[in-house]
Amino acid sequence: MRLLQFLTQRLLISAVTLIGVSLLIFVAMRLMPGGFEDIILGPFASDAARAATRARYGLDQPVLVQYGLWLKAALGGDLGSSMISQLPVADEILRRAPATIQLAVMALLIAIIVGVPLGVVSAVGRKGNPLVPLARGVGVFGLGVPDFVLGAILVYLFSRFQLGLNVGGFVPLAADWQANLRVMTLPAITLGAFGAAQLQRVTDVSAREVMTQPHILAAIARGDAPGTIIVRHVLRNASIPVLTAASTFFGYLLGGTIVVEQLFSVPGIGQYVITALTNRDYAVVQAGVLVGASFFLAISMIADIAYAVLDPRVGDPS
Amino acid sequence: MMARMLQLDRRILIGGIILVVLVALSLLTPILPLGDPAKVAAGPRLSPPSWLFPFGTDQLGRSNLPRVLQAIQSTCILSALAIALTMVVATPLALFAAYRGGLIDQGVMRIADVLFALPPMLMAVLVAAIVGPGWLASVAAIVMISLPLFLRIVRSAALSVARRDFVTVARLSGASPLRVVFVHLLGNIIGPLTVQFAYALSVGMLIESTLSFLGMGMQPPAASLGSLLFTGTPFIAIAPWLVLLPGLVLTLIVIAINLLSDGLRHAIDPIEQQGIA
Repeated sequence: MRLLQFLTQRLLISAVTLIGVSLLIFVAMRLMPGGFEDIILGPFASDAARAATRARYGLDQPVLVQYGLWLKAALGGDLGSSMISQLPVADEILRRAPATIQLAVMALLIAIIVGVPLGVVSAVGRKGNPLVPLARGVGVFGLGVPDFVLGAILVYLFSRFQLGLNVGGFVPLAADWQANLRVMTLPAITLGAFGAAQLQRVTDVSAREVMTQPHILAAIARGDAPGTIIVRHVLRNASIPVLTAASTFFGYLLGGTIVVEQLFSVPGIGQYVITALTNRDYAVVQAGVLVGASFFLAISMIADIAYAVLDPRVGDPS
Repeated sequence: MMARMLQLDRRILIGGIILVVLVALSLLTPILPLGDPAKVAAGPRLSPPSWLFPFGTDQLGRSNLPRVLQAIQSTCILSALAIALTMVVATPLALFAAYRGGLIDQGVMRIADVLFALPPMLMAVLVAAIVGPGWLASVAAIVMISLPLFLRIVRSAALSVARRDFVTVARLSGASPLRVVFVHLLGNIIGPLTVQFAYALSVGMLIESTLSFLGMGMQPPAASLGSLLFTGTPFIAIAPWLVLLPGLVLTLIVIAINLLSDGLRHAIDPIEQQGIA
C-alpha cells in the first residue's frame, strides 16, 4: 500500500515535470531568433508572405494560446506534423526510435559488462594485484575522455585501417543484423565507455561500504567461498547505487545522443531533433524533447520500483 | 589512516600538477618560443608533428602547438566563469528552499526537476540557438545544465545542517533568517560546495567543448579545445594530429580536474559520498 502511494506521488511529480518541460521548450523555441517563416521563405520574402505563413501555422497567435492548443492535441495523442515534411511527428519519431533505443541498450550492456566487474575488482582486489590499477585506470580515463574525442579516435582508426567494424552506413537491425552490428558497435562503445567508468566507480565505492558491515565478516568466518560472498552478499547489497547510476545513464542515452549519432551517422532521435532545431521545425523539436524527457522520467520511475523489490525498506517512511 | 592520507595527497598532487602545468603553459604561450599561434603559413599546410612544429600544422599552415595551448585558456575560463555564476544563482535559492521549506522549496525543486529531465546536450544546443553561437552560448548552456545539480546538492547539504541544534539555537536567540542562512547554513556546507565546484568544472568543460565541437561555441579566430577538434575533423583522414592531440589535451585536463575533485571529496568526507552525475 505504501508502495502504491509512493508511486502515485512519483507519477504526479513526473506529470508536473513533463508539463514544465513542454512549456519551457515551447517558450524557448519562440525566443530563438529567426522564425520558421524566415527558414522556408528566405531573407527576401515580402512581409505579407511572412504573415501568411505565420498565420497558416498558427504562429501569429499569443504563445500561451499556441501552447494551450498544442497541449490539448498532445493529451489526445496528437503530437502534430513536421512543418517541413508535413508528416506526423509521432510516426517520424517511431521510425527513428529503434536506432536510438538499440544504441542505448548496447551502450548500457557494455557499461554493465565492463563496469561492474571492474568495480568489484577494484573494491575487493588485494594490494599488488595488477588488475586493481587497471580497473581504476579505466574508471579515470572513461570519465575524463569526452565522447566526441573517443568517437573521433575510433572513427580515425576504423576508417584508416580495415579492422572489421564500419563507420557510418547505417543498416536497420531488422534488415541485416550482422551488417547492423558492424555499424552500431563503435558508437555503442563510444557511449558505453563513460557508463562503464561510472559503474566502475559506483560499484567500487558501494561494495567497499558493504564490506565493512558485520554480515560480510560473518560470511568470511563461516568459511563461505569468496565468489559466493561477492555475488550473494556484497553485490546484492551494493546494488542500489549501481542501479541508480545505470538507470540514470540509460535514461540519458534514450534522451537522444546528439554528438555520437552525428559522428557515426546513426539516424536516431537526437539527429532528427537537432536537424529540426536548425530548421525551426517547432513541432518536431517540441515532440522530440518531450519524448526524451518522458523516457528519462519513466526510467527513473522503473528504477524506483526496482529499489522497492531489492530493498523492502524503500517506500517505508521509517 | 596514514595510507588514506597518502592516497588523498597523491590524487590532489597529480591532478594539481597536471592542471597547473597546462594552465601555466597556456598563460605563458605569448612569451614562450613556440611561435605565433595566429601566424598563417608559418610552415607547410597539414604537416605532421616534427621538431619545428611539435603538434603539426593546420590547414592554413599555422603551428598547432601554440594554438592548442592557447585554447586551454578559453576552455578553462569559460567553464570556471559559468560554474561560478551557477553557484552564485543556485546557492541562495537552494539555501532558502532548505531553510523555509513549504512552497518555496517545492517551487525551486520542481524547477530543478524540469531542468534535470531535459536531455543535457539537447538543452545546450537549444540554449546556443537562442543566444547565438559564441562564448556566451557556452556559458549560458553550462549554467542551465549545472543549475539543477547545484540546486539539489546544496539543498540536501543544507537540509542536514538545518536540522541540527545549533541552527535552532541561533534562530531562538533571535538571529535573522538572512544571518542563519548565510552564516550558519552556508558556513557549514562550504566543504561539499567546494567539492561540487571542482566536479562541476569538468562537467562545464565537457559541455563547452561539445558545443564548440558542434560549431556552436567559440567562433574563429577565437578557439577552444572543442572548436579545434571541430575545425580539424574534416581533415581527420590526412591530418589526424589536428583532432587527436587537442582531444588528448582536453582529456588530460578533465582527468586532472576529476582527480582533484575526488581527492577533495575524500579529504572533506572520508566516507566518500558519491556525487550525483
